[in-house]
Amino acid sequence: MREFFRSSAVRVALAFVLATTVATTAVFGLVYLQIREANEARNRLILEDEAAKSVNHSVDELRNAFEVRMTHDLRRLDYAALFGAERKLLFGNIDALPAIPPDGKSHYVTASRAPGGDNLLEPAVFVARERPDGTILLLGRSLLETLAFRRIVQSALATGLAPMLLLALAIGAFFARRASRRLTTIHDTIALIMKGDTHLRLPVRSRNDTIDKISRDVNLMLDEIMRLLVQIKGVSDNIAHDLRSPLAVVHAQLERGLESSDDEQLRAVVKQALSHIDKAMLTVSALLRLADVEYGPKSSKFRSIDLSAICTELFEFYEPLATSKSIHMTLETQSPVAILGDGDLMREAVSNLIGNAIKFTPEHGTVSVSVTQEDGRPVVRVRDNGIGVEPGERDKIFQRFYRTASGHRVPGSGLGLSIASAIANLHDFDLRFDDNDPGAVFEMAGRKK
Amino acid sequence: MTKTTSTRAQTILLVEDEAELANEIKIELDRLGYLVRTASIAEAADAARVGDAAMLIMDRIVFGEDSLKTLEVLRKEGVKVPVLVISALSSIDEKVHGLKAGGDDYLAKPFAMVEFVARVEALMRRLDDVRTTKLRVGDLEMDLIEQTVYRGDTKIDLLPREFKLLEYFLRRPGQVITRAMLLEEVWQYHFSLETNVVDVHISNLRKKIDARGVHSLIVNIRGAGFMLSANA
Repeated sequence: MREFFRSSAVRVALAFVLATTVATTAVFGLVYLQIREANEARNRLILEDEAAKSVNHSVDELRNAFEVRMTHDLRRLDYAALFGAERKLLFGNIDALPAIPPDGKSHYVTASRAPGGDNLLEPAVFVARERPDGTILLLGRSLLETLAFRRIVQSALATGLAPMLLLALAIGAFFARRASRRLTTIHDTIALIMKGDTHLRLPVRSRNDTIDKISRDVNLMLDEIMRLLVQIKGVSDNIAHDLRSPLAVVHAQLERGLESSDDEQLRAVVKQALSHIDKAMLTVSALLRLADVEYGPKSSKFRSIDLSAICTELFEFYEPLATSKSIHMTLETQSPVAILGDGDLMREAVSNLIGNAIKFTPEHGTVSVSVTQEDGRPVVRVRDNGIGVEPGERDKIFQRFYRTASGHRVPGSGLGLSIASAIANLHDFDLRFDDNDPGAVFEMAGRKK
Repeated sequence: MTKTTSTRAQTILLVEDEAELANEIKIELDRLGYLVRTASIAEAADAARVGDAAMLIMDRIVFGEDSLKTLEVLRKEGVKVPVLVISALSSIDEKVHGLKAGGDDYLAKPFAMVEFVARVEALMRRLDDVRTTKLRVGDLEMDLIEQTVYRGDTKIDLLPREFKLLEYFLRRPGQVITRAMLLEEVWQYHFSLETNVVDVHISNLRKKIDARGVHSLIVNIRGAGFMLSANA
């Protein structure tokens, strides 16, 4: 039970009921007060007016007028009397003068027995006014009507409030139950998802209220988590697969070494095994790097970087290598080509492209690097006139570990282009291959917005 | 350079929860004449505080605990012991994080032992004095203010990058310097290369600074990298 009251839905329902009650009572009270106020003001005005006017009439005229008034016109006056000297009643329907000053102003008199008189006075408004001949005129109007009105309002409130409260309670309970049912569903679904039913999603209706919005967000988050899980699994599968072969080779070599009795032979085997392990470590590093770029959070280090400066710097870095292979290297830049990105990563991507170009270009070849703006898109091109890529292999070169038939003799992890491509992708760039006939062009261009 | 005679302060503390790797590291550093002791994060921190550690080698995550937090605390307390962080977390962001926390160097696993040893030796022989204005090995002299290099009486013209490369060597005579160290420190490239560009730069530098008919000042260390040595 305590839990029931603690649930936010129930609390909201109860607050709703309370608010409804307060608001309704306030409205009733306000209406009652307004009407009473208006009524009383009018009555007082009439009484004071009548009393003022009657000052000019003679006693006999008053007596007549009273009789007419009392018998025919009871709407305005309930009490009228004239008191002589020593406050003695001359005529009228009140025995004694109430304890109010004869100042012609209206006074509120609660129900009380008039002094010396027998009849019980109801709550009323009286006006007493001293006339020039020393007599005192008393006019009054009962407040019974107002009291009756108050009772009507009270009973209306009493009879109206009960069903209204019930209704509010019912509505509140309905919403509370509905909300708690939805929350319970969400709670249960999340419990199931955590138990491993990762395909489940929170229910979302078309109405788009707060719970729906949150559910939708949670679902998107779950989708993203699942996507990452699948990708992580992909990466680890790949790593496992690609390490199996070098490990198998090392295993075989070491077994062979164990059986050999020749020290020299053993050393050779160990050396070979070491170089295979080095290669495996290189592969692991490259794969981790690739996973980092592909699946890591978008780098927080994105800032304005200049592609021209990066390419110029890499050109200077690689030119000695090209020269040592008698390869002519050229650079064409438009200064500066600014993009939003991670300088370290862009450097790595372009470095892979230039390194590849030099690797696959024979002596006396040419490698040219260019940075341009085309239709407002930044474009980096690395062009060589080396061995190029066979038409059948062109769509495979960006795949992990793919090494062209002709490239197999050149050392490398087979991951360079995959990493470059992933980096390009991270920057909303496309990395494409083109035939340079002979040779290759790798073009890294910003996507059209 | 003031060398401490106390053997205790020559102890390298190794914080590494992979027992086999820790053992290999210990054997290798023992072989090179260093005293190595394995320690928990707290033990290493305490030793560093009282000056009982010549260097800390810390794995990033030790038994689920992030050692960088302790390192940050140590640095805040003003403890200046050299720290090499080794970690399976290999992204550039992680590396930057490790260096910001107070690591002097950050090496991602898996690493080759020669690379590891080179980093350790570099940290054990901290730079003599960063404010030095002249560096000299044999008859090769570099003036850091004038930005000039002389071999004997002959002035040698170097490109800015070659100057930086040579300065890096001159500050670390007799030390093994790996290709990765040069890439990171001279070019600020934090990725591995599948080409021998660095070797070409070194050989170009050699051509400029070496005297005819004499052994090169910068020698190749097989399987590891390079070393600047006057008496090679």
